[in-house]
Amino acid sequence: MAVQKFGAKYAEARAQKLFKTMLTLKEGRVEAARQGIESGVALRVLVNGAWGFASVAASNPETLVEAVSDACKMAKTASLRLKTPIKLVEIESSEDKILSRPRKNPSEISIEDKIKTTSSINETILGYNNTIKSCTTDYLDLTGTNYFINNEGTYIEEDKLYVWSRITATAAEESLFTFSREEIGSTAGYEVFELGAPEVVGERVAKRAIEQLKAKPAKGGTFPAVLGPNVVGVFAHEAFGHLAEADLTLSGSVLLNNIGKKIASNVVTLYDDGTVNGAFGSFKYDDEGVPTRKTPLVRDGVIAGLMHNRETAQKFNAKPTGNARAEDFRVEPLIRMRNTYMEAKDHSFEELIEDVKFGYYLKSVRGGQANLDGTFQVGIQEAYEIAKGELSEPVRNASISGNTLETLFKVDAVGKDFELWAGRCEKGQTAFIAKGGPHIKVKEVIVGGSS
Amino acid sequence: MAAVRREEMLSLAQNAVDSAQKKGAAEAEAFIYEGQTTNVGIERGQITKSARVIDKGLGVRVSINKAVGFSYTNIIENGTAIEDAVLKALSAAKASKPDEDWHGLPDKKPLASVQKTYDNKIAELSPEDLVKVASLMLDAAQNTDKRVFPIEGGAGAACISSAVANSNGIAYFDKGTIVECSLAAIGKEGNKVTPVCFEFNAERNYNINPEWVGEETARLAVSALKTKRIETKSTKLVLTQFALQELLYFTLTNAIKADYVQRNQSAFKGKINEKVAAETVTIYDDGLLEDGLRTWTFDAEGIPHQKTPVIERGILRNFLYDDYTAKKEDKESTGNASRAGYLSTPSIDATNLHIVRGNRLPDDITSEVDDGLIIYYLQGAHSSNPISGEFSVVATPAWKIRNGEITHATRGVMLAGNIFEMLKNISAVANNERKLGQLVAPWILVENAKVIGK
Repeated sequence: MAVQKFGAKYAEARAQKLFKTMLTLKEGRVEAARQGIESGVALRVLVNGAWGFASVAASNPETLVEAVSDACKMAKTASLRLKTPIKLVEIESSEDKILSRPRKNPSEISIEDKIKTTSSINETILGYNNTIKSCTTDYLDLTGTNYFINNEGTYIEEDKLYVWSRITATAAEESLFTFSREEIGSTAGYEVFELGAPEVVGERVAKRAIEQLKAKPAKGGTFPAVLGPNVVGVFAHEAFGHLAEADLTLSGSVLLNNIGKKIASNVVTLYDDGTVNGAFGSFKYDDEGVPTRKTPLVRDGVIAGLMHNRETAQKFNAKPTGNARAEDFRVEPLIRMRNTYMEAKDHSFEELIEDVKFGYYLKSVRGGQANLDGTFQVGIQEAYEIAKGELSEPVRNASISGNTLETLFKVDAVGKDFELWAGRCEKGQTAFIAKGGPHIKVKEVIVGGSS
Repeated sequence: MAAVRREEMLSLAQNAVDSAQKKGAAEAEAFIYEGQTTNVGIERGQITKSARVIDKGLGVRVSINKAVGFSYTNIIENGTAIEDAVLKALSAAKASKPDEDWHGLPDKKPLASVQKTYDNKIAELSPEDLVKVASLMLDAAQNTDKRVFPIEGGAGAACISSAVANSNGIAYFDKGTIVECSLAAIGKEGNKVTPVCFEFNAERNYNINPEWVGEETARLAVSALKTKRIETKSTKLVLTQFALQELLYFTLTNAIKADYVQRNQSAFKGKINEKVAAETVTIYDDGLLEDGLRTWTFDAEGIPHQKTPVIERGILRNFLYDDYTAKKEDKESTGNASRAGYLSTPSIDATNLHIVRGNRLPDDITSEVDDGLIIYYLQGAHSSNPISGEFSVVATPAWKIRNGEITHATRGVMLAGNIFEMLKNISAVANNERKLGQLVAPWILVENAKVIGK
């Protein structure tokens, strides 16, 4: 209808039905246990080279017809002052149906069981010792189906399954407050909570909060640093990844003039990969019906590619990479990361720290953020001094900052281990992602500290 | 936009409450939210898209034997879907554990009135009108200087209505409008790119100034082009509202919430009537503020909004409560329950966090700074220690003030410190108050802030 009646060059519809269960436990007390259903349709059309979008909850035919006409009118209005019309790269159409086959489907697990699991995390933390003052555990599972159809013959049905939990603990002694947080996330199934996982995570979170009580503040200044997989992941995602989202590259990120050029030391290889089994950022098709893939971003220090949707792929004359993702039917797809990581190499942890006379081991992050000009900041929740090649005392409330490309050139050794951490990324919408890598050593980085 | 349906929403909410009680809920509450938004989007120097989103739904909260359950659905035309949500809320409550501190849903209290929260002109804005607004803003930015590259932004209008009903007789409805325009731009010269500079204007009534947003974004982006490094030292800082918002949101805003206090997560615990900030600092939480972006007649559980003194002349006066935390201390809620539309249960949040303006012109304040920085944008504040208030953030960018003049931008400057210490070091408050989401504040001057340069 969009095409025939309104002259749309392109039209797509995304329908979703999503089921969620959410829990929040505070010191073991269950705040309202929550379950919900959301269902709706997103319509997106390209008319006269501009996008029109409409989202509605209902799926009855009259409302949908109205929404299609709305979207087309919106696009026409938006096109009034257009200088450069939007074009899409051509893709092969596909018809596919992807069923999720978890070993343990969260929708078949009772709320009682979910409360039991989250409670056991709480108990582990609160019972750790009496400096622990509070503990919050959030739990979410999401199941449902995405239906995607466009006017080019693509029709995809894909099941969605996410299990996620965030655990935070605080410790206090005299007037000192410390804070520790961790996230678990999987697209595999509820089995992520097996294997004593709740207790292991609980213990780690509690220990970290307590350890910071005896930690000293970081020194401000420039120091060599060894970054753990959790920090490398956030660096790969925040400091580099966002710059390589092609919409942001076009908006003037520092990568724009560097495509195909060397921007990092030879040991640096980075991927954004939607194909890692069970990882929190994995899926089969993106929200433009493009198959996901393993996308090299940096290979041996040279920019190997960007993350695209169909619009930016056309602009860069590149293949679409399957990075167009929409949080739900209320919003349009944007270029988002999936599982972003640095590739492991050959160093052991001991080899990475042995030459450091004085520096920091930055093990776990509290959050990070980057700017288009390449200024990044990563807040650290767990760090240690390195003195004479050995791990020394814990340090609290450190953060690192610098310029992404300068810092990538200063990576002088990459470890042989590898970890992937679940997380969520904000870009106006929330996306479930993962990030990680091995341990790495950086010659110098600015450490922000208060001592 | 479609007319707002007061009676229809109230009766849907009431029906859900009745149905829950019939099915065995000791108490029940239904919250209905409807948001209709229209916006046009700018991408890389041109208007490229327009969207209309209608989002509505119903959330139902029930208690059975002091255990609470919640469910929501966005299919509210359909009675079966609402019945299903009610059943799911009940089954969630049954699966949950009793909470000894649960003392029931709120009782009905009379509402105060609010001013200037709904403007028919906004409700009637067409996409064409919004294209005009966005164009004015975009042209203003692009005509200021060739080196300005607007990367994203747009103009939007929203009509929001909500209704809440509970088994204690609460049945309230409110509606409001918001119009906004925003622009993010960078300065570009040769290979040089500035950090992203941003401005916006959001109002409850149709009196936004898109030209100002465009010009101011452009002015900041251009002035960020020439940068010099600065050295590490303690210095004076002028914090604009953007920087204040970033620093306070993850620290102070949590420290004044009653649940953080009750759970030993607030640095302010036990400090009521103590001095926690400089005498120049007075902060209200004012849910009734005239044309405030968070001004409504009632909160997310139907309790009247009010004006609550938080810090008066540096002295901590009150924390912010919802009904649950208030009953725990045998107090009255301050009307600070908040929700993410129909999708969540209430949790405590500030309404309009109002830092009362002083009587100094912003220029007077900067002109008295011999050596310091003026900070617009901060990066990384979300990684602050939310409890201790310790932060370590990067200013992107900040501008140097020397002998009272703003001289040049700086790059990669880190600020480190503790927000609660900083509150005590505020030496002046300007008179240029503005609204920024939840925060309503003027510029402030801070002494002895640690700045890490290179």
